[in-house]
Amino acid sequence: MSVPKKTEELDEIKRIRIHGLSDARRLMEEYDIPTLAGFFVMYESKNQELPESEVLSRMRTILDAMRGTLREGLEHPNRTPSGMIDGGAAHMDAFIQGDGSLVGNQFSTVIRNTLAAAENNACMGRIVAAPTAGASGVLPGAYLTIADGHHVAEERILQGLFVAGGIGECIAIQASLSGSQHGCQAENGSAGAMTAAALVSLFSEDQEAIESAAAFALKSVLGLVCDPIAGLVEIPCVKRNVMAAVNAVASAEMALAGIRTVIPFDEVVQAMDHIGRDMSSSLKETSLGGLAATPTAVRIAAEFKRMRP
Amino acid sequence: MAIFDVMGPIMIGPSSSHTAGAAKIGYLAQRVYGKPVRRVHIILYNSFAETGQGHGTDKAILGGIMGLRVDDPLIKRSYDIAAEAGVDVVFEEAIDPEKHPNCASVTFTDPDGDHPFVVEGISVGGGSVKIVGINGVRVDFSGKHNLLFVTYRDVPGMMAVLGDALGTRGINVAYAQISRDKNTGGAMAIMKLDQPCPDDLADYFRSNKGVTDVVTINKLGNEYERTEED
Repeated sequence: MSVPKKTEELDEIKRIRIHGLSDARRLMEEYDIPTLAGFFVMYESKNQELPESEVLSRMRTILDAMRGTLREGLEHPNRTPSGMIDGGAAHMDAFIQGDGSLVGNQFSTVIRNTLAAAENNACMGRIVAAPTAGASGVLPGAYLTIADGHHVAEERILQGLFVAGGIGECIAIQASLSGSQHGCQAENGSAGAMTAAALVSLFSEDQEAIESAAAFALKSVLGLVCDPIAGLVEIPCVKRNVMAAVNAVASAEMALAGIRTVIPFDEVVQAMDHIGRDMSSSLKETSLGGLAATPTAVRIAAEFKRMRP
Repeated sequence: MAIFDVMGPIMIGPSSSHTAGAAKIGYLAQRVYGKPVRRVHIILYNSFAETGQGHGTDKAILGGIMGLRVDDPLIKRSYDIAAEAGVDVVFEEAIDPEKHPNCASVTFTDPDGDHPFVVEGISVGGGSVKIVGINGVRVDFSGKHNLLFVTYRDVPGMMAVLGDALGTRGINVAYAQISRDKNTGGAMAIMKLDQPCPDDLADYFRSNKGVTDVVTINKLGNEYERTEED
C-alpha cells in the first residue's frame, strides 16, 4: 500500500514558504502535485490570496505583453538616441531571408527575436520586466520562438511561464535578480535559467531535466559583470540577451538529451550569491569598470553627455 | 517576492529604476498635489541627471505627472501631451551628493509661478519608489498604501476629528505623521490607511472649517502597474 498523500490538507494551508527549488520539489512530492507549473500557480494563489483563475489570467496578460514586445521590436529597425543600437534585429532578419543562416532558421530566428525584444526595451517599447527590463528579451526571444516553432498549445506555453517565474523566484529568494547587487549573472544569467527550465517543461515533465536545464544555463555565466556603456541599457546588454537566449536553448537541449547537472540548482544559485557579493561594485551597474571603462566607451559616454540639450 | 514580481511589471523600457520608477514618482507627485497641473519644474538629480536622457527618465516622469501609467506607450510622447494640455514644463539637472542616487524633485506652481508645491521622490530599484519630501517636510511613503493627506490650521483636536471619523467608518490607521509649518501656522497630516478613504469622508473632512486641503490616494497596485488589460 502506498503512503497516503496529504492532498486533502492542501486546502487548509494559507501560505507557502520555500527556500529554493529543492523545497518546491519536496512539496510537489508531498502534496502530489504533478507539475512544477502547477505548484507555482498554487504558490502564487495562496501567498497572494488570489483564486487560481485570477493567477492564470494575470499570466495570460504577461504572455500577451511578451508577444506584443516581439511584434513591436520586429516592426521596423530599432534605433536609440545614442546611436549604439542601430537595427540589429533588422540586419538579422535580412540575413535569415537571404538564406545566410549558419545554424538553421529556427536558431537564427531565436537570435533575431531576442534582438528585437531587447532592442524594443532600449527604444522605450512596452516590455515585461521578466526578470528585469535589462534582460527582458530572453523569454520572448527564446521561449516563445521555440514554443511557436513547435506549435505548442497556448495553455502549455502559459504553464511554462510559471516554471520560468518559479525558477526566478528561487533565485530571488537565495540571491538576487538585480544587476546592481550581483551583476549581469543575476539578470541575463537568471533570465537564461528561467528560459531553459521553461523550455524543457514544454516537452518533458521530468523534474531532473527541468532542474538540470536551469542549472546548466546559470553555471555557464557565473561571474558575468554588469558594465553598461554610458550607463545605458544598450551595450553590451542587448547582445547579452542573445547570449542568454542561445545559452538557454543549448541548456534545454542538453537536459532533454538526458544530461544531468552534478551541482543541484540551489547550490548553483548560492554560488552566484557568493560571487555577486565578492564582485567589485565597479562591475555592478555603476559603469565604472569593465567595458564601460574602456577608452572607446569613455569617449562615447563623453560625446553622449555633450549631446544632451 | 512573488511570481508576478519576477514576471513583471509590464512597463515602458528601458529601465525599471530610471524609467518605470521615474514615471511612478511623477504619477504620485501629481496625485499628492491634487490639483490640475499648469506649470511644473522638475529637477533630476545624480544618476537621474547623468543617464536620464538615455533612459527616457525625463519623458517618464513627465508622463507620470500627466497621469500616464508605467506601461503606457504614450510616455514616449509625454512632452507633446503636456504641450497639448497647456502645461509649462521646465527641466533642470543637478548633482547633489546629499541626495539619493536616483532622485527627482517636482515643483508645481500656478501659471504665473506662484504657490509652489514641492514633491521629492526617489527610485529605490525594481520600479519601487518612495516619496521623501513634501514642501520641505521629510515624509516616507510609496504607492503601496492607501493614503490620506490633510492640511489644516494648527489647532488642538484635529487628530481626534480625523481619527474619530475614520474609526467610525472602520478604517484603520496603519501609520500617521503630523508636521507643522512655523511660517504659515499650517499643519499637515499624512496617514497610511489599511482601507481606502471614501470620497464622502474626504468631503466631510473638507467641510471642517480648520481644514484647508484633503487629498486621498488609493493604493496603486495593479490598477497602476497594470497586470490586466483595460
